[in-house]
This record gives sequence, structure tokens and C-alpha cells, in this order.
Amino acid sequence: MNDNPSSWKRTAADIFAVLARWLLGAVFLYMGLNKALHPVEFLKMVRQYDLVQSSLLLNSIGGALPWFEIFCGLLLLAGVAVRGTAVMLIVMLVPFTLLVFHRALAIQSAQAIPFCAVKFDCGCGTGEVFICRKLLENFLFILFSVWLLAGYGRKLCVRYSLMSCAAKTGLPEKGGSNSSI
Amino acid sequence: MAHADRSIRVKQPLEIMTPDRRQPVRNVLLEALLVAATGIVLAFGANLVSPRGLALTRNYFPAGISRPVPAATSVSSPHDMASTNPPASSPAQLLAVRLKEQGLQSVDGQQAAQLFHDPRFKQGSIAFIDARDEQHYGEGHIPGACEFDPYYPEKYFATVLPVCQAAEQIVVYCNGGDCDDSASAAILLRDVGIATRKFFIYTGGIPEWITNGLPVEIGGRNSGNLRSTNK
Repeated sequence: MNDNPSSWKRTAADIFAVLARWLLGAVFLYMGLNKALHPVEFLKMVRQYDLVQSSLLLNSIGGALPWFEIFCGLLLLAGVAVRGTAVMLIVMLVPFTLLVFHRALAIQSAQAIPFCAVKFDCGCGTGEVFICRKLLENFLFILFSVWLLAGYGRKLCVRYSLMSCAAKTGLPEKGGSNSSI
Repeated sequence: MAHADRSIRVKQPLEIMTPDRRQPVRNVLLEALLVAATGIVLAFGANLVSPRGLALTRNYFPAGISRPVPAATSVSSPHDMASTNPPASSPAQLLAVRLKEQGLQSVDGQQAAQLFHDPRFKQGSIAFIDARDEQHYGEGHIPGACEFDPYYPEKYFATVLPVCQAAEQIVVYCNGGDCDDSASAAILLRDVGIATRKFFIYTGGIPEWITNGLPVEIGGRNSGNLRSTNK
């Protein structure tokens, strides 16, 4: 029995980090599948943001992005290239959140309703949502991603890092030992 | 062995303090690049082999990639508000302007009902085209309307083209509001040789049809399974 409080804290952090990794992985897998199974609906949603004027670019986003999200979700669930995947999640989540926020502001100003009463399908793969809930969700997902990027969530990983020399250079083992399966 | 383990443990914090500290950051970025590259290749591959995948080179929005009217919530974006042009007051008006630019005519609910009750509809001189997806079409469409999903046109050309060629007036509809799939359907059919003058876009679409208490047909075309929408 180890009664050291710091050890308990570390164990709790380990458990939460792994749960956060699995949660992120499951969410990205679910949202990606929803879009990949209904690519035309997703394409229409992407179009609503008026991001690109080229049909090739628009179709590339609509066709490939859902599968990319599925890929990232699977990597996180399995625990492969966790920090690299966390970077990709942040790269996706931050601009998406800004776009959704910008669109919600436009809806709010046009309808003259409270910001949190704005509800629309943001194309996130979960149908119509209230904007405040969506922003809070995304904020949490970004936070979890940063947490994973910081080196947590190493337990129960198939291959935590793809870079073999990473282990040698050694970030501190925040989650205790590198418990690769 | 125990001695070797201790030496490794002592070494770790020292390495973190060295200039090589940037190495882990570089490794993470490299790993992210690797994930991105692999993911992009796999994503495009999956889209290519998926039966529901998008054709990258096709223009799915022949009526224009930019939204004809602001989103489903029917609001103006800040860009629209900043415009010097006076804003149109409703999605229907904006859509009508857009249709005119495409050389397409529009009809309202009353005109659509008149064409539906016109005896020429039974004779095939007037046709109705439903530009929604298969699921929505099956859940209820204007009785006798042909299904034509503009996102998968090749699937429907064989059945829709003879109907369009025989008709003198073709009413195309989708979900009303800011839905421009009906315009896309008309443009696709125009591109394969159906005269533009034949097309009339029913801008109110199926929601208005139902609101007006007109009947809808469930299932396939001419299934005879009619449902009254009278309130």
C-alpha cells in the first residue's frame, strides 16, 4: 500500500487522463462517422460557412474531413501517437470553434435573441445544438487535448509515441511509467 | 542492473535542463505531421472507396457555391449587413432573385396547387419533380412527383428524363425556405437538354404544400398511398 498523497494524486490524474483520451477518441469517432455516413448533409453544412468558393476544395473538406476525424478518434482510443494526435485535434477544434462562434454572433444579431438562445446545426455531427453548450463542449475538448499534449494519458497505450527517440530525450513521466501494452 | 537503473533516473532531469529540451517539442510536431499526412491519405482513400463518398471534381451546387440566402435560420451575416445593397426581406425573395439570375421561373403555393389540379398533370404535360433525398421523398411527396436527388443525379436520369421530355411545364421543389436543391435539379436537367423555359421552381416547397393542407403520397411514385394534410 502506498499512502503517499502525491502518488494518489498521480494515480487519479492518470485515470482521468486516460478517460479524457477515450472520451475525446469516442467523440471524434462518433462525430466523424455521423458525417461520413451522410456526406452530402455535411457538405451542405460546410457550404453554409462560405469558407471556399472552389468546388474541389469544398468537396475535399466534405469528403475527407469526416474520415480524418475518425482516424484521429481511433488513434486516441488505441493510444497511438497521442501527443501528435492531440496537436491535430487542437488544430481542428480551435478554428471550428471560432467559425461556429462567428456564425452564432451573426444569428444572434439578426434575430435579436440572447446569445445562449441561438440554436443551429453547426455541421459538427450532432445535429442542432444550443451555441453555449457547443462552445463549452469545444472548450473542454480543447482543454483535454492540451492536457494530452502536456504528456498525460500515457497509460493503456498501444504506442504512445511514434518517435523512438522521444523516450530517450524524456519528457517527465507524468503518468508514472510508460505503460504501453 | 540496479546501478544502471539509477543512472537513468538521475539522467532524466539533467537532460530536461539541457539545450536539447527542444527535442521533445520537435518530436511532437513531427509526430503531428506524420499523423496529418497519414490521416489525409487515408481520409481521401476512404472517401474514394466509400459508396457514399463525394466525387471531388463534381460541382454539387450548380446554382452557386455561395449560399443563395443565409443559412437555415434565415438570418443575415455581418457581411450581408455591411453591404451597401438594400437587404431583401425574406429568404424567398432572395431565392427568387437568384433563380432569375439562373434564368429560372418560380411559382408560389397557389400556382403550384393550380398546376397540380390541372387535368394536363394527369396527361403528363405537367410534371412535378421532388429534389429531396430518398428518405424524405419516401416519407411524403406531392402525389405523382418524380424523385430526383441532385446530389446523385445519375441514379435518376433514366426515369426522370422521359417524364421531363414529355412535359411542357415542370414544377421542381425541395424543402422551401433557403433550400436551393430544386434550382440545382433544374440546372442539372437543363444541362442534359431539357429546355429552361419548362422549369418552374416551387419556392415554398413541401413545407408550404403541407401547410396549405394539400395531399402527400407516401412511398414510391404513384403508390396510391395518399395522406391528407388537412388540419
